[in-house]
Amino acid sequence: MAFLQVIEPGLQTTIQDTGRVDAQRFGFPASGSVDRAATRLANLLVGNAEGTAVLEFPLVGPTLEFERSTFIALTGARFKAELNHALIPMNQCLQVQAGDILKIGPVEKGRIGYLAIAGGIQTAPVLGSQSTTIRLHLGGFHGRALEAGDLIPIKKQTVLTSFYHRRAQAQRLPNQDEIIKIRLIKGPQWQWFDHLNQQRLFQGTFKVTNQADRMGYRLGGTKLQVPKKNLLSTATVRGALQIPQNGEPIVLMADRQTTGGYPVIAVIATIDLGYFAQCQAGQKIQFELITLEQARQALDQLRQELDQFEQTVLAGKYRPPYGISRVASQRISRMLEE
Amino acid sequence: MDYQLFDYGDQAIVIELGKVIDPEINRRVQLLGQLIMKAKIPAIETIIPAYATLTVTFNGQITNGKMLRQRLVPIIESSLSGDLPVAKTWLIPVAYGGEYGPDLRDVADYGGITPTEVIRLHTAQKYLIYFLGFLPGFAYMGTVPDQIAMPRLASPRLKIPAGSIGIAGQQTGFYPVTSPGGWRIIGQTPLKLYQPENPVSFYQAGDQIQFEAVTPAEFKAIQLTVQAKTYQPREAE
Repeated sequence: MAFLQVIEPGLQTTIQDTGRVDAQRFGFPASGSVDRAATRLANLLVGNAEGTAVLEFPLVGPTLEFERSTFIALTGARFKAELNHALIPMNQCLQVQAGDILKIGPVEKGRIGYLAIAGGIQTAPVLGSQSTTIRLHLGGFHGRALEAGDLIPIKKQTVLTSFYHRRAQAQRLPNQDEIIKIRLIKGPQWQWFDHLNQQRLFQGTFKVTNQADRMGYRLGGTKLQVPKKNLLSTATVRGALQIPQNGEPIVLMADRQTTGGYPVIAVIATIDLGYFAQCQAGQKIQFELITLEQARQALDQLRQELDQFEQTVLAGKYRPPYGISRVASQRISRMLEE
Repeated sequence: MDYQLFDYGDQAIVIELGKVIDPEINRRVQLLGQLIMKAKIPAIETIIPAYATLTVTFNGQITNGKMLRQRLVPIIESSLSGDLPVAKTWLIPVAYGGEYGPDLRDVADYGGITPTEVIRLHTAQKYLIYFLGFLPGFAYMGTVPDQIAMPRLASPRLKIPAGSIGIAGQQTGFYPVTSPGGWRIIGQTPLKLYQPENPVSFYQAGDQIQFEAVTPAEFKAIQLTVQAKTYQPREAE
């Protein structure tokens, strides 16, 4: 076991993976990372399996000291990040040495960043997941956000040079100066709303408020009129736009409650969920209605692109030019994997 | 029994067995959930039972709603019979009104009755736990008498203390952890309904809950035994 020492914790750095999805049956929030594509990419860049636990940090990242050499990758929102005071690029695999200090500063574009470490973070899973649910003091590192002085267990890594070339293009992030478009599918209570309010959803401009966290993002700018009907509580899903009586939509995120009683007018298509999660407070949004079929096709296309990227990365591992050390290291790498 | 299937976003399907709070419908929901989990369909991530609906979430990168529906229909058909085990009844002490239940007076005004009458009505019956949801250990229970069935708040409160007992329409329940919420809070229990070190609750869906009114002094006495970890949940005889 090796450790990662937390020098500065950042705003709210937590350990996240793909969440305790199955425990939703017993009322536990799913949790997990809010930008799944960014998490998958980070893990891929350092050779981790999909779903390996990473660090997630909104707005201001942590400062960390590495006790041993390993590989890391930063993805998601664009942060100012320095390794021993030298700026480092995002979306690529980087080697760090024992004693190196990684300082992830304030965000420059987007909202949430991810740091994957080769081999993953080694905390004990709770109900099948290492994800932190702060509100419930569940999972992660003692059920809370990281604090200065914490020693986070990571996997002891045999450093190999074969990951060096792994890099990806920067992901799409919301532009603060523009009104961005988010695609929606009609929700289960769509018919509850009259024509005027259905139109308002697609013609109005919404704004992400500062009441936004891992549970949900409250939207302002346009209000919707809600019919005075009591809904039987039912399950929630990620990306659901629930409309409470005050008419301000709340988009449900990773730490959402498993069931709820407010009508859901629409659901953000999975393809746009990560992009939406990357919105800062004040971001202007317009919604666009798509069909379920279109949402499926878009999701399918994303999967193909990610699979293709994964193939490229895996194939590239053994591509020339090989240096003397690389040939040796790759042999060792292959042996370790077998 | 009739049922309906509809999509909920691009990675969930809702199976609706009814539109009302009804013990018989809920029994079917529980049974259906067990059968679907037993079928071990790889694309299914989980099931989330509620009063009259069972929501099935799936990985949209492995399957799609159309394919999944074909797998679900025979299971739904086969679930329309069968029994669940006999229910236990748990006693939950509650201090009503005052600092413990800020909305008790509003609920009384809503029903045109006194706060004492609200307490009498709320403790006069056993409530079936239809499902656990919303938060770990949060039991959805029903159904409260019409006089005290006040709808939830227009705008949810940002912070409701752990142990709070609330009403939302015909539903009643308790908040196991401090959280935002829109229920009308009429009281509070000194019991710890959620412990992260032991996250699974002592009561289960299908059990019953009976509330018992206690004085603030009794509340504090029970709280001490809870803090000393000597409190044992009590079952009704």
